[in-house]
Amino acid sequence: MAPKSSTPASANVARTLWKAYSDDTPDRLKFIDAFLFFLMLSGIAQFLYCVLVTNYPFNAFLAGFASTVGQFVLTASMRSQVNPENKNEFKDVSPERAFGDFALGSIILHFFVYNFLG
Amino acid sequence: MLRLRSLLFLAVSLLTCLYARSSTGDSVLVIVEPNKQDNYSLFFDGLKEQGYELTFRAPKAEGPLVVEYDVPSFSHVIILASETKNFAKDVTPQSLVQVLGKKTNLIIALSSKQTSLSSLAAEFSLILPPPGTPLVSYFPEREEPPQVVPVSVQANSVVSSNIKPVWFSGVPHSIGNNPMVVPILRAPAESFASETDGGSPDALVDAAERGGEGLWAGSQLGLVTGFQTLDNSRVTFVGGADLFSDEFAQKEISKDIPSGNVAFARDVVAWTFQETNILRIESTTHHHVNQTEPSEQYTTNDELVYTAYISKYEPKTSIWAPCSDIKDLQLEFTMLDPHIRTALLPVSGNPGKYSATFRAPYRHGVFKFVIDYKRRGFTYLKSSTTVPVVPPRHDGYPRFLSAAWPYYTGAISTSIGFFLFSALWLAGDSREKKAKGHKAE
Repeated sequence: MAPKSSTPASANVARTLWKAYSDDTPDRLKFIDAFLFFLMLSGIAQFLYCVLVTNYPFNAFLAGFASTVGQFVLTASMRSQVNPENKNEFKDVSPERAFGDFALGSIILHFFVYNFLG
Repeated sequence: MLRLRSLLFLAVSLLTCLYARSSTGDSVLVIVEPNKQDNYSLFFDGLKEQGYELTFRAPKAEGPLVVEYDVPSFSHVIILASETKNFAKDVTPQSLVQVLGKKTNLIIALSSKQTSLSSLAAEFSLILPPPGTPLVSYFPEREEPPQVVPVSVQANSVVSSNIKPVWFSGVPHSIGNNPMVVPILRAPAESFASETDGGSPDALVDAAERGGEGLWAGSQLGLVTGFQTLDNSRVTFVGGADLFSDEFAQKEISKDIPSGNVAFARDVVAWTFQETNILRIESTTHHHVNQTEPSEQYTTNDELVYTAYISKYEPKTSIWAPCSDIKDLQLEFTMLDPHIRTALLPVSGNPGKYSATFRAPYRHGVFKFVIDYKRRGFTYLKSSTTVPVVPPRHDGYPRFLSAAWPYYTGAISTSIGFFLFSALWLAGDSREKKAKGHKAE
């Protein structure tokens, strides 16, 4: 194999990081990460629209943006609670309980979001 | 010969002026010295033909009173006693102003003698010259003395355009800067006030110096001037009572052409006694653009329609006919200051109807639809309708805006993503449990 010393160091670091991530992370967590990535893209898109084009129905912007951010927070919390490496942190929170909390919080979040969306 | 002439003039006046009625009443009080009453017989006969009921009274007589217990006794008052120094107790400047405030119209003749009514003219922005200084003009060359002046009549909103020059003898006045003054007859350019009637030249010079050079000369002087008060009552100050006299009515202005005194007097009386140039607002209404009934309140940014119906008094037929001739009517939508000022245009096909459509401003509050129309010579139109404008209710704002679609798709995609995620998570969970259970076995 040709050595990778000709490529810059940052690209090397990124590639090592990506390799470690894809090798070590269980599939379930990768699934959650995919959802988190999608939420992040959606939030960035709405923010760019607000800043670049118009913030005219400001309440709609807040509702949409809060929807993605809130959902991101809830999903990230579930990920840390479901992660087997954190089992010592969350002794009395089973993965089912974590998912139940996540689902309840998301339902309430969506209720508020649609109320504020106008 | 004189009798024939007077009959001829009577016939002419009969033919030229048709029966015309005032819009406010027919009773006229004429205050004139009894021994001078016959000098104005043509004028009085003309008034009687129009339908006015004349009551004559000497200036010092005790009755009939002009105003009794705060109620005016007559619709109109003519004061031709211009040389009387003292009037009866109830004819004072104060009582005349009080009577004007109660919608009575006045014609007041002035003279170069100072009477108790001379101070009244100053209240109406007419600056009289010192006593004893009547109008004098040495042009055109004529047999009459210089104090008897032929004046050509310019057409304006009060007098019609084809009136022959009138004979005038009396005092001019300078007109102050009051928007309610309606000049009717201006002095000829070559005329001036001169102390030929016993006045003192020093007083004239002093007055001119105080008021500026040329104050009592030229065509800026008024001879017959009207004034319309805010209550729409009218008062006309005539510089000399001889304008209405028979002698001037019958005098020829040039070879075989009779003077225009009769027609001029007719026009002045018609304007002062509320026959001509009378407008009124019949009714006003307001509503939303798509409705016909007025609403209790309006919301900001509503499209509103305001309609006014205006009619004009026709003196010949004594009726109020709808009038669409007003081209510069304005509507103001006011809350302390006019937020909207727009033209109230006549609606074609609907005589007398004026309408304006506009959007209520962003401010909420209590607004007024205001019509405030003041033009020289015409009655003032005033109308004010108060209406509340409220901010939108919590569900009155526009929804589902096209500008907000990225936000709608963001929120909806988050929800759909959440549902898909939980479905797949639970499916994966059950599969993992089955695999684990399998392994444990």
